[in-house]
Amino acid sequence: MKRLLNRFLSLSVAAWLCILLSFGSIALACLGATRAGEWMSRLPNLIGIAVLTLGIAITSVRALFRRRFDSALFHGGCVLIMGGWLVGQVALRVASPENPANGLMAMIDGEMSDQLFQGARLEKLVGRVPFTVKLEKFTVERYPARDPQHEAPVREYSSRVTIQERNKPARVENIRVNHPAIVQGFYIYQMSWGQTQDRWGNPVNYTVLQFKRDPGLLSVYSGFGLLFVGAFWFAARCFRLKRGGVACL
Amino acid sequence: MSVKWTPQGLLIYATMAAFLLAVILLRTERKALGRGFWFSGFVFATAAVVFRGIHTGHPPMQNLFEFFLCMAAFLWPLAQLSRYQTGSDTDFQDALLGLLILVPAGFVFDEEPRMLPPALQSPLFIPHVGSYVAAYIILARSAFMAIPLFRCAGPLTEDHPRFRELSRADAVSRQTAAMGFVLMTVGLFLGSIWGKICWGHYWQWDPKEMWSLATWFMYAAYFHLRLRNGLRNPLLLAILLWIGFLFVVLTLTWINVSRLFSGMHTYA
Repeated sequence: MKRLLNRFLSLSVAAWLCILLSFGSIALACLGATRAGEWMSRLPNLIGIAVLTLGIAITSVRALFRRRFDSALFHGGCVLIMGGWLVGQVALRVASPENPANGLMAMIDGEMSDQLFQGARLEKLVGRVPFTVKLEKFTVERYPARDPQHEAPVREYSSRVTIQERNKPARVENIRVNHPAIVQGFYIYQMSWGQTQDRWGNPVNYTVLQFKRDPGLLSVYSGFGLLFVGAFWFAARCFRLKRGGVACL
Repeated sequence: MSVKWTPQGLLIYATMAAFLLAVILLRTERKALGRGFWFSGFVFATAAVVFRGIHTGHPPMQNLFEFFLCMAAFLWPLAQLSRYQTGSDTDFQDALLGLLILVPAGFVFDEEPRMLPPALQSPLFIPHVGSYVAAYIILARSAFMAIPLFRCAGPLTEDHPRFRELSRADAVSRQTAAMGFVLMTVGLFLGSIWGKICWGHYWQWDPKEMWSLATWFMYAAYFHLRLRNGLRNPLLLAILLWIGFLFVVLTLTWINVSRLFSGMHTYA
C-alpha cells in the first residue's frame, strides 16, 4: 500500500498532473464560461474531482507526518476548496422548489415576491424562498455627463427592499453591486436592471435580484486561507535555505 | 500605434528614455551613471502612476494601460530586494524588462480615462488587481533571471565550470517565482471573495480566471519538479518558467482583447 501511494502520489506525478491541469484549464477557457461551468458540473467530472481531492488529502496527511507543514497546509487548502465546491454542486443537484439554491427575481417598485425564476426571459419557476421581498425603490445614479449627445455612464444602481421573514420583524436592506444582503443562508445580489412599461404604458425601471445559496462556501474560504498560509510558508523556506549565497532545497 | 503628446505620455517616454540609457550604460564601464538613470527611470515611472491616479480619480489599475504603468514602477524596488537577498546584480535585466513593458503603454494602449463601473467600486479592487500586477511583473522577472539556465543541458553539479553563476541564476529565479506564486495565490483568493460579493459565485469559469489558473498550475508544476529533481535538469526548470511567463503575457494581451475569450473580466 505504502509503495502504491509513493508511486501515485510522488512529486513527479504531481508535477505532470499540474501541467495537465494547466492545459486543461486553457481548454476550458476556450469553451467559454457557461459551457465550461456546465461541463465541469457533469457527474463524471464531479467524481473525477472527488478522486483528485482524495489524493491531495492523502498527500496533505503524509506531509503532516513528515513535518512538512507548508506542504500540509497548502494541500489541505486545496482539499477544502475542492471539497467546498463539490458540496456546492451537490446542493445545486438536490435543490427542489421548496428548497431552491439559485434563481432570479425581477420586480418594479412596490412589487412583492418570494418566487425565483430562471431562463433568458425568467420564464421558468424554480421555487420559493422562505421569506418575502418587497421592492420599495429602485434607483440608478449616473456620472456627470461629459457629452450631451450621449448618456452618462452609470455610477451605481441599487434596490431598497423590505425583507419579511416568518415570525420576525421586517427589515429594510439596500442591495447594490458589491453589497449583497444575506438572509437565511441566501445571498441576494443586485444583478442587473432594465426598462419596461407599467400597466398604464408609462416607462418604469425594473430590477433583477439574484438569489444564491451555497453550503460549501465556508469550506472554500477556509481552504483559500490555508492555501495562502502554505504558499507563504513555502516561499519563506525558499528565501531562508541559503548556503553561501546559493539557495538549496 | 500612436505617440502620446500629453503630460502622461511624456512621463512614460521620460521613463523609457531613462531605462534605455540605463540598459546601454550598464553594459559599459559607466555603471554608476547607468544605475543613476535606472533610479531616475523609477522616479519617472512612479510619477506617471501617481499622475494617472490623480488625473482619473481612481487607483490606476482599471485597464491594461494602467496595469502596465504600475508594473514598470514595481521593478526598481524588486531589483533592490533581489540584491539584498542574494547579492545578485539584476539591474540590466530589470531595466530591459521595464523598457519592454512600457512599449505597449507608450505606443499601443489608449490612455483615455474611463469612469469606474459599479462592479469595480469595491475595497477589494486595489488588493486584488495590485497583487496580480505585482505577481505578473515578479513572474516575468523570474523568467528573465532563468535565462542562463538555458545554457545548461545536463545536470548541474559542483564540478560544472559555471556552477556558481548557474546555481545563483536558479536561486534568484526560484525565489522570485516563489514570491510571484504567493502573490498570485493572494490574487486568486481575493478575486474569489470579490467574485462572491459582486457576481454571486467565487468561481465563474470565466476565460480570464481559467488562464490565471493555468498559470498558477504551471508554476505549481515548476515547484514540484524543482523539489523532485533539484538541479538535475535546470533546462526543464527554465522552460517551465518561460511557459508560465508566456501564459502571463497571453493573459495580459490576447485574453484581454480576443472575442474568443470574452467573459466577465471585460473591464480591461
